[in-house]
Amino acid sequence: MARFIRWQGMIAFIVLSALVAVFIYLFAASLVKKAIVSSAESAFGAEVNVAEVQLSYSPLQLSVLGFQVTDKEAPTQNLFSFERATAGIDVWQYLFGKIIIDELEVSKLEFSSIRTQAGKVYLNEQSDGEATEISLAEQTKAMLPEVDMKLPDVKTLLNDSNLLTVNASKQLQDSYKAEQVKLKALQAQLPNKAKLKSYQDKVKSLGKMKVNSLADIEKIKAKFDKIKAEFKADQALVKKAKRQILASKSLLAQQVSELKDAPSKDWQQIEKTYQLESIDTEDFAHILFGEQAREYVQKAQWAYDKVSPFLDNTNGEETTEAAQNHAKGRFISFKEESPLPSVLIKKALFSIQLAEGEVTVSGSELTHQHWIRGKASLMNINSSANGELSLSSNFMQSKSGDFKANGEWLVNDRKLSNTELTKSKALTLSLEKAQLSGKGSFDLINSEVVATNHISLKQASYQGQAKSTITQLLLDTVMSLDSLTIDVGVRGELSKPNFTIASSLNDALTGAFKQQVAGKLNDFKDKVNKGLNEKLANALKLGDSQAAELLDLEALLTDTDKALADLKNSDIVKQQQKKLEDKAKDKLKDKLKNKLGDLFG
Amino acid sequence: MLTLLAKLFHALNSDSSIRQIALAIALGFIVGLSPLFTLHNIVIIFFVLLIRVHLGSFILAVGFFSGLSYLLSPVIVQVGESLLTQPALADFFTALYQLSIFKLAHWHHTYTLGAFVLGVVLSAPIYFISKFMIEKYRVHIMTFFEKFRIVKALKASKFYSLYSSFSGDSSLTKGGL
Repeated sequence: MARFIRWQGMIAFIVLSALVAVFIYLFAASLVKKAIVSSAESAFGAEVNVAEVQLSYSPLQLSVLGFQVTDKEAPTQNLFSFERATAGIDVWQYLFGKIIIDELEVSKLEFSSIRTQAGKVYLNEQSDGEATEISLAEQTKAMLPEVDMKLPDVKTLLNDSNLLTVNASKQLQDSYKAEQVKLKALQAQLPNKAKLKSYQDKVKSLGKMKVNSLADIEKIKAKFDKIKAEFKADQALVKKAKRQILASKSLLAQQVSELKDAPSKDWQQIEKTYQLESIDTEDFAHILFGEQAREYVQKAQWAYDKVSPFLDNTNGEETTEAAQNHAKGRFISFKEESPLPSVLIKKALFSIQLAEGEVTVSGSELTHQHWIRGKASLMNINSSANGELSLSSNFMQSKSGDFKANGEWLVNDRKLSNTELTKSKALTLSLEKAQLSGKGSFDLINSEVVATNHISLKQASYQGQAKSTITQLLLDTVMSLDSLTIDVGVRGELSKPNFTIASSLNDALTGAFKQQVAGKLNDFKDKVNKGLNEKLANALKLGDSQAAELLDLEALLTDTDKALADLKNSDIVKQQQKKLEDKAKDKLKDKLKNKLGDLFG
Repeated sequence: MLTLLAKLFHALNSDSSIRQIALAIALGFIVGLSPLFTLHNIVIIFFVLLIRVHLGSFILAVGFFSGLSYLLSPVIVQVGESLLTQPALADFFTALYQLSIFKLAHWHHTYTLGAFVLGVVLSAPIYFISKFMIEKYRVHIMTFFEKFRIVKALKASKFYSLYSSFSGDSSLTKGGL
């Protein structure tokens, strides 16, 4: 036996185990502290300080004291800090590979607190989200001066070569010219008065010709046929010219009609281009309160973006994660009587220090694998430092990865002071003091949000400055209001939601503001329309003289056609034939008289 | 480190049992492949200390195979993954999962199970290969190298004096410390 076993090895094992246990007991706190600092620094990209880590073993409890995370955008202040965080960890489950925290308590959590010494920054990534936020806010503010700028100079507007009226006038004139050229070319080919006269003379001379025999008649007929052939050619030209005139008239009539419609179409386009129709009081509610609403939604989106990677991680835990983390591996769970998620905080309590007072956040069943216990995570936010503030929400992630959250919030008698509503070149407006009350609810399914919020301000007083007529009117109206209600609806993708903002400000503005805006708009509309109609009248006036020319030509063509037809239908040959017949008859009569005279005389 | 190497060379060159060294390497392979503080590793370390295997060789094997484990980690995880997600074995693992000892050993972790299974399966060939190579070393290589002048020069070095200090016939050198 002794050949194979060395009993002193057992002693060595006990000694080694004892050494490891002592090492863990002595250095576990420092090792945990180092692990927290290094992982937090890599997550936040800036210096992280932990004053102390305390570990107690029965039950296992981890306390982190004096935790500070440097804000990498402003290293002289903390992104967040807390005085103490205590987590009671289930040791048995921890040894099984699960982090089950029975109770997590974080006290004096603060945001943007000042650091005693500027922290080091390790990563300086430019956040796209923040850039968007700024541009969005600036964009909203920039809308105010645009209201004045939206009414353009009438002269410049009327000289705009893109106006339909201008284009249609030009087109009409061009068409007149083109048609005139065509008609003049035809007119040159048409028989003129002299030619018609010569035809008439020729026909007359045929009629005056002495006819003594049938041969003379044949001669006259041949000559008349020759002249008739010329008539026919000229008549064909006249017909062609008539067709051309008809086509020209039809084209020009169509263009005149288009020209007459052009001013109204131009006005519609002007309204659309300069958004004259959309100048509505609702826009001002958007301008004044939309920015605040967007900020809240952006905060919600920021939180969702931070949380969603952890939630996504769970989606394909059983299949896809293995491919991503080859070197590390993963825990695989099987069916058991009372299953537990890989990470679960059964109860959490945060006390947050804000400028407005202390806020308590409590949570339960916080995990990313809700389907395992079939329970949703609950979050409640409460504060009674300045009026009543409460928010209760729950969220749940399904095994297939669908995320659902909903909640309700309520604010009662919260005092507001010196809150900036908007600041732009044309208008600065801030709320000097007011009593805020409101309630709302939200539903979030994956990243689709639907939220309704009702806010009412009472005993409100404002201050501000306006630099344009419209903003001055807006400012005066707002300042005259003692109470105000705002209804904000948010719907759509969380990253780009649609806002509907309705406010009692709209009603207050309706009378005074709409009247002024409408007056200004009407004046503008009159001027523009007058200018457009002048252009129309000029174009039509010019067209009238050219149309008269067309009518003259048409009359001429009709006369020519008639003259040619008369000549063509002339019975000169028949007349000559009759003359010849008459002559023959007379001759016969004379002969008969002479013979009868001889017979009776 | 020098001391450990000296011990290994002494073990290889001495009359220490070839089987003891080969067993140490095979057990070192199982331990080295898995994360250090796992239940099965603690049990193996207990047995390594209890039975007469060559400890120096064991410690060196653990060090060497820990490095190798880092390189082989994708394969190890793949083995564990395919075993734990095998539908045919689902009932078997579900039954084991009800035992706290199974979860305590982290055998429901793809890396730990993959390393343990690979370690156990490959430890037998590693034992026999090690045994074969040590035999060959002792017969051919050791005698071949001892002829060289450089080896004679090395024998006069500090390393050799360390090596010599372990060449005494103590109870521990015959199979271990």
